Amino acid sequence: MKSLRAIMVVLLSVTLCFAFGLSSSSASDSVKVGISLPITGSLAKFGEIERDAFKMAQKEINAAGGINGKTLQLIIEDNTGRPDVGRSVVEKLITKDKVVMLGGGYSSSVTYAVAGVCQQEQIPFLVNTGSADRITASGWKWIYRINPSVSHYADAVKSLLSSVVKPKTAAILYENSLFGTKGAKSFGKICKSLGIKVVLKEGYEHGGIDYKPVLVKIKKLNPDIVYMVSYIMDASLLMKQSRELKLTPKMFIGGGAGFTLPEFKSNAGVASDKVISATLWHQVLPFPGAMDFYKKFKAKYNKPVDYHGAEAYSACYVIADVLKRAKSFKNTDILKALSETDMMTVFGPVKFTTWGKLKNQNIASSYVVQWIDGNLELVWPPKHATKKFVYPVNWLKTWGY
Amino acid sequence: MNVFMQTLVAGLLIGGIYCLIGIGMSLIMGVMGIINLAHGQLMMVAMYITFVLSSYFHIDPYFSLIVSMPALFLLGCILQKYFLNPLMEVDSILPENQVLMTVGIGIVLTEIARFIFSSDYKSVKTSYGGSAFFIGNISFNLPMCIAFLFAIFITVALFLFLSKTDMGRSIRATAQDKEAATLMGINSNRITIITFGLGAALVAAAGSLLMPIYYLFPDVGGPFTLKAFVICILGGLGNITGAILGGLTLGIAESFGGTYIGMGYKDMVAFVIFVLVLVLIPGGLTGLKRLIKS
Repeated sequence: MKSLRAIMVVLLSVTLCFAFGLSSSSASDSVKVGISLPITGSLAKFGEIERDAFKMAQKEINAAGGINGKTLQLIIEDNTGRPDVGRSVVEKLITKDKVVMLGGGYSSSVTYAVAGVCQQEQIPFLVNTGSADRITASGWKWIYRINPSVSHYADAVKSLLSSVVKPKTAAILYENSLFGTKGAKSFGKICKSLGIKVVLKEGYEHGGIDYKPVLVKIKKLNPDIVYMVSYIMDASLLMKQSRELKLTPKMFIGGGAGFTLPEFKSNAGVASDKVISATLWHQVLPFPGAMDFYKKFKAKYNKPVDYHGAEAYSACYVIADVLKRAKSFKNTDILKALSETDMMTVFGPVKFTTWGKLKNQNIASSYVVQWIDGNLELVWPPKHATKKFVYPVNWLKTWGY
Repeated sequence: MNVFMQTLVAGLLIGGIYCLIGIGMSLIMGVMGIINLAHGQLMMVAMYITFVLSSYFHIDPYFSLIVSMPALFLLGCILQKYFLNPLMEVDSILPENQVLMTVGIGIVLTEIARFIFSSDYKSVKTSYGGSAFFIGNISFNLPMCIAFLFAIFITVALFLFLSKTDMGRSIRATAQDKEAATLMGINSNRITIITFGLGAALVAAAGSLLMPIYYLFPDVGGPFTLKAFVICILGGLGNITGAILGGLTLGIAESFGGTYIGMGYKDMVAFVIFVLVLVLIPGGLTGLKRLIKS
């Protein structure tokens, strides 16, 4: 069995070498940047969005002159959404492809593993989505991050809860991954600071078919709000089955990730309406190019884009900016340029500082969106809102009962 | 009491679908003595057939069974005839190379699906998708109940086929003793091909029945292959009655684990049972029956 595995690994690497040998003509007039994303596996959906956004940005950057005359070459590797695979593809990117820095990083678990490798190999890594706090709270010098950490995802939700909904009790459901667990924990803290009693806090394994056992329990406890940290299809099933059981809290709140994607609406149907979610970006935000990016992406890939795409697109621009400013492509020079970053992107201003326990972290705000009549509208904070927050909601009527 | 009953109902209903998945794998295992590790991926193919029929031709997912089952039967036959059977004649490093082949087939099917449909999550829209009826305070999801009834119907049909027809008897004979069956004039090569087709058709039925409830993406198969494997071990390898019991047990165990231990431990419950069965009653539920008899 072992020898067979070895043979398979060898075969696979040979094929990969061919594949990349053909695509990367390793010309000296290009700068190589490695991107690790889940292109296959159950997180592939998110990987695809980010890959498309990266490629779009890359094309624009190269069309506008590239990196001081050199072309920006992205080597996008598939980490299949698994930490062990993530580690090995990044080792390959660093040792074989000799990339000057790394980007990407969807899924907290994988990103954390990858960040460990980068720290060890002293290669700058710009994270754009992996959001567990510990990625930038481990004191790692080579890791920078554009997106806020998961404990800040719900900041805007907090202000919405304290000023409008004012719930007394809450139920928290989360996927038992690094992202889900940390998201649930930080929302637990928010509840505590607002004096909300958490009546139920339960994790689940993603990919389940039937969530009714836990939803029945929630129905019995009858909390004011239900907070869910879920990837996309679990999010749709949770809402569909809540509708089926006529579970009607004052508000359903999603903690980002699955709840902001167009697929959530198309799969959950009427059960997605009026659900609110934390988010990190919306195309109407007053950042230069935000709306443009949204329209361009929609025109090119024929699907709307949410904060995941915006993060990846901006990350590519930040990488290009850093490489332009770096004195040479030596790791220390790039790191220096990275630390001096101060630019505007479609995701907002990017500048790396210390944010509480987080080091080399870009401070970004979070927002609240609500699905209103099939559209994802920005409802909080009110100064940016595209529609007024719909509250209270008559769920049974919304669900067409 | 309500929570208990709701949990039981949910477990039983999902158990019905698990049965179909398990029986298919069990059948293949019984006749060929190999674990088909592409089982879930075959289900994924059937789900895509149902999805395409439903979203482009507006055919109801339940009617699509008429297409998906024969299609997968054919696919199964082709796979067995041109990919698995030739391996039996080759002397190779490993006797299990047919199993490895199924792993490869699974990966190829997944990637083909990704190539055609991309990794997008898909689901079918039906007017009854989210409808449920209530008996007392217990909610019964309509598509799940329909799926359960179909599962019973298909299982009964399979039993009749296996016990009443010539072909069915040949399959059972091959499962019991391949060499003896061959000596009795059964073309065991042909039987393996048909068995694999049947197994694929059964899992196709499970896939089509799942579509109104669940969702679809290229990697949906993997976890179901694992479930099928657990069911087969629970029921005793290659035993069809065992697979039915195994499927129901798994559904109910998962459901109760979800309610009383925690949703996050749902899969753990299944695997704890799996390990316990392997350690304590290696023959599975049917082994237990034999144990009690003796």
